[in-house]
Amino acid sequence: MSPPRSASSASELPHDSAHTHVAGTSEFIDDRARLAGELEVVVLFSPHAHARIKSIRTEQALAIPGVVAVYCAKDFAHNLWGSIIKDQPLLAEQEVQFVGEAVAIIAAETREAAYRGREAVAVEYEVLPAILSIDEARAARSFIGARRTIERGDATAAFASAPHTLAGQLVLRGADHFYLESQASIVYPHEDGQLEVHSSSQHPTETQHVVAHGLGLPDHDVVCVVKRMGGGFGGKESQAAPFAAYAALVAHRLRRPARIVLNKDDDMIMTGKRNPFQNHYRVAFDDAGRLLALEVDFFSDGGAYADLSTSIMERAMLHADNAYFIPHVKVAGQVCRTNFHPHTAFRGFGGPKGVATIEVILERIAAFLKQDALDLRKLNCYTAEGGRDVTHYDQKLENNCLPQLFAELERSSDYRRRRREIVRSNDQARVTGAPLRGLSLTAVKFGISFTTRFLNQANALVLVHRDGTLQVGTGATEMGQGVNARIAELVARELGLPRSTVRILPTATDRNANTSPTAASSGTDLNGAAALLAARKLKVRLSQLAVALAATPEERWASNTAGLGTQAELGAAGRSDPLDDPNEGADWATGIATYHGVRFADGRVHLAGLPGSPAGPGKRTRRGSISFAALVNEAYLNRISLSEYAHYSIPGLAFDKLAGKGPAFLYFTQGTAVSEVSVDQDSGTVKVLRTDILMDLGRPVNEPLDLGQVSGAFIQGMGWVTTEKLFYDRKGALLSHAPSTYKIPNVQDTPRDFRIRLLGNEENRANVRGTKAAGEPPLLLALSVWTAIGDAVAQSPERDGAWPQLEVPATQEECLRALAPARFWAWERATP
Amino acid sequence: MRSTILFSLNGRAVELGADRAGMMLAEYLREQQRLVGTKVVCDEGDCGACTVLKAAPYHASRSKRAPRFLPVNSCIISVAQLDGSSIVTVDALRSGAPPTDAPVGAGSTDALTPVQRAMVDCHASQCGFCTPGFVMALTGLVEKKLRTAPGYPRVISAKDAKNATTGNLCRCTGYQPIIDAAVAIPLDQCQSVEQSLESAPVRRRLALAIQQPVLLDGPDFRFFAPTQLAQLGAFLEKHPSARILAGATDLGVVHNKRKQRLIAAVSLHLIPELHVLEERVHKGTRRLRVGARVTLSEVRDAVKQSVPELASFLDLFASPQIKNQGTLVGNLANASPIGDTSPFLLIAGTTVEVYSPMRAPRQAARRSIPIEQFFLGYRVTALAAGEVITAVEFDLPSARDVVRLQKVSQRIDLDISTVCAAIRATPSRAGRARLGRTVTGVRIAFGGVAATPLRFPRTEHALEGRLIAHALDPELLEIFQSEMTPMGDLRGSSAFRRVAAENLLRKYFRELALEDRP
Repeated sequence: MSPPRSASSASELPHDSAHTHVAGTSEFIDDRARLAGELEVVVLFSPHAHARIKSIRTEQALAIPGVVAVYCAKDFAHNLWGSIIKDQPLLAEQEVQFVGEAVAIIAAETREAAYRGREAVAVEYEVLPAILSIDEARAARSFIGARRTIERGDATAAFASAPHTLAGQLVLRGADHFYLESQASIVYPHEDGQLEVHSSSQHPTETQHVVAHGLGLPDHDVVCVVKRMGGGFGGKESQAAPFAAYAALVAHRLRRPARIVLNKDDDMIMTGKRNPFQNHYRVAFDDAGRLLALEVDFFSDGGAYADLSTSIMERAMLHADNAYFIPHVKVAGQVCRTNFHPHTAFRGFGGPKGVATIEVILERIAAFLKQDALDLRKLNCYTAEGGRDVTHYDQKLENNCLPQLFAELERSSDYRRRRREIVRSNDQARVTGAPLRGLSLTAVKFGISFTTRFLNQANALVLVHRDGTLQVGTGATEMGQGVNARIAELVARELGLPRSTVRILPTATDRNANTSPTAASSGTDLNGAAALLAARKLKVRLSQLAVALAATPEERWASNTAGLGTQAELGAAGRSDPLDDPNEGADWATGIATYHGVRFADGRVHLAGLPGSPAGPGKRTRRGSISFAALVNEAYLNRISLSEYAHYSIPGLAFDKLAGKGPAFLYFTQGTAVSEVSVDQDSGTVKVLRTDILMDLGRPVNEPLDLGQVSGAFIQGMGWVTTEKLFYDRKGALLSHAPSTYKIPNVQDTPRDFRIRLLGNEENRANVRGTKAAGEPPLLLALSVWTAIGDAVAQSPERDGAWPQLEVPATQEECLRALAPARFWAWERATP
Repeated sequence: MRSTILFSLNGRAVELGADRAGMMLAEYLREQQRLVGTKVVCDEGDCGACTVLKAAPYHASRSKRAPRFLPVNSCIISVAQLDGSSIVTVDALRSGAPPTDAPVGAGSTDALTPVQRAMVDCHASQCGFCTPGFVMALTGLVEKKLRTAPGYPRVISAKDAKNATTGNLCRCTGYQPIIDAAVAIPLDQCQSVEQSLESAPVRRRLALAIQQPVLLDGPDFRFFAPTQLAQLGAFLEKHPSARILAGATDLGVVHNKRKQRLIAAVSLHLIPELHVLEERVHKGTRRLRVGARVTLSEVRDAVKQSVPELASFLDLFASPQIKNQGTLVGNLANASPIGDTSPFLLIAGTTVEVYSPMRAPRQAARRSIPIEQFFLGYRVTALAAGEVITAVEFDLPSARDVVRLQKVSQRIDLDISTVCAAIRATPSRAGRARLGRTVTGVRIAFGGVAATPLRFPRTEHALEGRLIAHALDPELLEIFQSEMTPMGDLRGSSAFRRVAAENLLRKYFRELALEDRP
């Protein structure tokens, strides 16, 4: 166990918008006051999974009072968009490819009129055969992108000589993001064809580009602004853009402000989900349970269009190992094209699908060998000993905490004692019919960096005002995760200021262009590093100025000569060499850089020779200081720039996508979790009794915000693996499109006993100030709930220890089916 | 007769006519008052983002104390239904005494209430979209705690916190920080919104107003709220399609989802007799009479001692927001095939009291329908056109009855049942030697296994007088299965419903059998 975190670490300040959130004064898109003439936009979408559009008749809609316009595909200058492959129409042209695909947009004076208009648009369809499962897509060879493989060693040979092998299939269903604020955008038209787009988007740059391209405008005529989102979780990474484009089309054509705010039902029907996966695996292992070889064939349901599915698949393949060293590996991945909404990013991206596979494999091996699964996990855990610390894509694990995370959580959660107690309790439950209990400890090793190399860059603008307050603009978007608070704290701490001095500006493409989405847990890593670099550039100059001021009698300072030019100006040139490493020059313990011996602390700038404080003017002390605001004012009067822009790109990423080899990630965020559940034998109802989480998040910028990411991601993942079931009818229409039918966890579902701890890890030198990304990794730890359910169900009288075939999510029906398969089959045979 | 409705909004009187009264409250707040702190997410009362506090009309005749402010979902309450009520929204919350003429919505960020401060301090808000709803739900909890009788401890437990926020969804925090915040609220520093946001003159105006009926007659919305049942006939004759509103928690949803717009409605909230909630003894049996306007929350509190099984079952029924608005009678009249409370009513000797305005005064206007004859088919009841249910009356189980109410749902709380069960039987006093006890008075009803909530007469008959140890014989389970016709839908397959329903029956007798063991 490493020592507790140093004093340099985390603040405990609340989220920067906490006080306005609780007062209800935080402004979201639909909270913006309506402008005169503003129009409401609604989308008419396809009721068919696959159909030819024979005709669209709009006369009746246009006759409804208040309806102003109805637009179709032909009204866009360019109708195709797509984050990776431009294959998706903004509005369907000849065919619709999924239930919920946008066909037309209606603009009206009021939302009510727009809905009435939508009901009156007559679209004639010719229904075509649809592909509604991965199996159907494979049979029809309906794919998106090519099949890819990542290989190490010789899996085929290893299987041939292995003492034991197991094979199986794992089905993982999708999940809805269920961000509370649905997709929303307002577009204000300005003079000369310019548009100001406000969007609830994780990717303002892409939103800008999709709008501009769709309307045939140059990028410089579209500005996209994101103040905040009411949740994103990946669902607004690519899929916010088309909705902004609909509002933009109306604003552009009619020269009136236009607002689109989806209701929850339309949002859930239209937008893509977490990709469903169907994974076929084969594993080889020895008598001790040591993994010898693994083959996984990943198939994902990409939906009707490419969206981000190929990248998601790549991440699944890169996470097939999770925390475990496997000598011989062969993983392949193929995205299938079906007639569902185009599936998209969702917290964890492909990671959870890879990790679920190896975690269930370990449970199955444990059941087969009649061992405790934790022993197998520890046996196979990545470790530097014997060189078992290189992934199947040839990235060596640096600063690997996994063995420690397993050992420490095993101890602190009292795993062994509880296991014994659960075995006793289940012996009784098999007789009495009381709920069965299960216990499982799983791990996560999540690669941090976009696997698409060019996205690993960010830029930041830091403006210092003459009163010593700062504005910071970056490409990061705030969706609740607290990226604004973290960036403000990084900058404020560097300059020795209270966080309240730093105001993070709404994300805007006219301030920070060519930005990456706030995604892949990288928001603070990338944008915080860029902001810190910009702050350092200013700090270098201000330090030089402080040195010059210390050598200048105070009465000759510009502020004391009214800046009239009676004195020579003091210069501050900055650095000639580039500043591109956020840890360069910084003291590791504090993360703070010092230039020319000048110290920034407590809102003041300290240097021998500066006026003493609180002594009066003119009097020198050995350690003098002036306020930050005073130094800034001197800088301005000496014509020294108080604004800085910086660009940051992650170094050392050399993953070769074609070969599937090389360092794909800057570092890994790691953790372990152990969950205890009960499964009611009568109803299949699952209760999570206790969860202990231990995570390595390096040195958090703000510990409570990181802990909030852990609890939030875990519960979101728990929903995916338990109650969140997307129910589609046989024609491909989603029927569970509101919270009455789609059940995300509620407050009663939190583990009865929920303990989260962070491991002190001071040594992540790869990332800005030794922090680690926290957004996605904890979601994968929720798989411990799912494997604990399997552990409980396996103890049923009917199963007698045999591991059940459970899907994700393990709904109550799924659990009851696993508990009493024979009775289910009997009724299913009786009633087809 | 009044021609406008009157309610209090953040301490100010608001009077509205037919042009606005048909709007849902959340829409009215956001669009007409620009009180945008209240958020709308689901528009169906399932997420709590739109939570506001509502104090029901103060009928001085019925209670000494003004009704407490309770959390409700503003997205599914029409403004017309607020007649006589007081509403407090997040926009008006502030600590300390308000300025004498505080403008609506001038919530100040530097004067947070203790609830809001606890939420900030415990990091209970991330994206912020659900936050106002949680703040209001917890403020409602504080209102309840502030009325704790002297001598009882005034603390908020984690359980209180969870129960108070069961109707609120958050997708960011994982809830733990919200629970922590609720527990950290310093009750001794809290002030009731009754003191901070209620004005005595407005309250007097409301009390006077509700003694008069209201009739709104607009082109798009017609609304009538009589003060006596006898006034109903004329309006219903003119508007036969008018919907009868109690809590209208379901009608609000079908309106919002554009399945059936609410264009003509009758609200029964001004009729004093419909608020009755009383216990009486009939032929030696204690019975509870519940008026049409009695909310599920009120029923829950009333049966907490007498039928704890029903009280804890109601704890799983919907959310606090819905229970504060919805009524037991409304749940029955809605005639959902699941209708969480219907299985209980089916085993509790319930009578449904009905008033027929069309028959009055020529014939007897009141009749009573046994619950067994109430459900005729899928969402079809024995009510004739224009008839309204005035009350239901049901048996309170005796100490010897074993009543079990069970619910199977995708999520344990805040979910519609996939299957729900109500089973009642009276075990014999002493078991026959080594054979154990027998059961009599068996009543079995299930929701979610047929087009209506269903009684199982043949199973009941077969079980009558049977030894508990033989209750689950295969031929009995066969009879049981033959009486149901479950469908498969998005909540569960037909096979799942059959297996789960049978398991609930098995569980009932398994538990009885366990008691038989020495």
